[in-house]
Amino acid sequence: MKRTMTLNLTDAEMDALEALCEEKGLSKTALVRQALRLYQSVDARLARGDKVFVENADKTEKAELMVL
Amino acid sequence: MKTNLGTVSIYNRVTGRDEDAVIYQGFDAQNLAHIETRWRPMFEERRVEALRIGASASDINAEDARWEWGRKMLAAVREPFLYELFVLEVAAITQAIMLVRKGGEKCFSRHEEHPRAPLIYVDFLSTAPWNRPRMVAQPVYTGCGRALISTAISFSFEEELRGRVGLHALPGAEEFYREKIGMTDLGVDEDYSGLRYFEVSASFAAKMFTSPEGGEE
Repeated sequence: MKRTMTLNLTDAEMDALEALCEEKGLSKTALVRQALRLYQSVDARLARGDKVFVENADKTEKAELMVL
Repeated sequence: MKTNLGTVSIYNRVTGRDEDAVIYQGFDAQNLAHIETRWRPMFEERRVEALRIGASASDINAEDARWEWGRKMLAAVREPFLYELFVLEVAAITQAIMLVRKGGEKCFSRHEEHPRAPLIYVDFLSTAPWNRPRMVAQPVYTGCGRALISTAISFSFEEELRGRVGLHALPGAEEFYREKIGMTDLGVDEDYSGLRYFEVSASFAAKMFTSPEGGEE
């Protein structure tokens, strides 16, 4: 079963959402769903005590990803 | 809990006839029982034979023989948000099984057609040992793996991801994904045990679902 919600975003947030939808070819619903899954996936790892890192393309820099 | 997604025709090499295979989203205790009591003993028997003659797991098409499907099923139950499990049955016997990820860090495209676009990632796919060339002298059903990859593509469309699917292939399965399915080979992934990474692009998925498909597993 799917439920409907109203999301209140600022202009800047809505612009960012629409730009991502355009770039990825996704509806707003699909984009929010994917974002939620990614957030949940990362958060589950952090909750288990894992660390999540982001590495630059030439692998010279690595930064730990922090999640609120 | 499993939901019947529909029926596809699977060719039985032994009888020379097509048979109805049912694809399910989800699984039940019977599927795990089939893997533990029918698949595993056969894998084990062939593994011992292979050891005796000095053959590798790849030689007998059994690189995935030790995957713990019970644990993967548990993951699918615990994290329904991230995983979906599909099974293919013929005559109520589990012939193939697939675990996909529908979100998270693995679910971003590397294909030049749509870099970083979200996709469905096939984490694990196995077919029953009696359906495998090199594992048995006369494999029974052909097309089980293809049917499940098609299911992953269909699921990707359902999730508004335009049919995009990605996976890392074990060495023994590379030819299947490259030649039989026609996935794009994006090379060795040094960050993933050196396995090769493959994708179904959106344009290829669209073609697969609009033109009659040929070939066999």
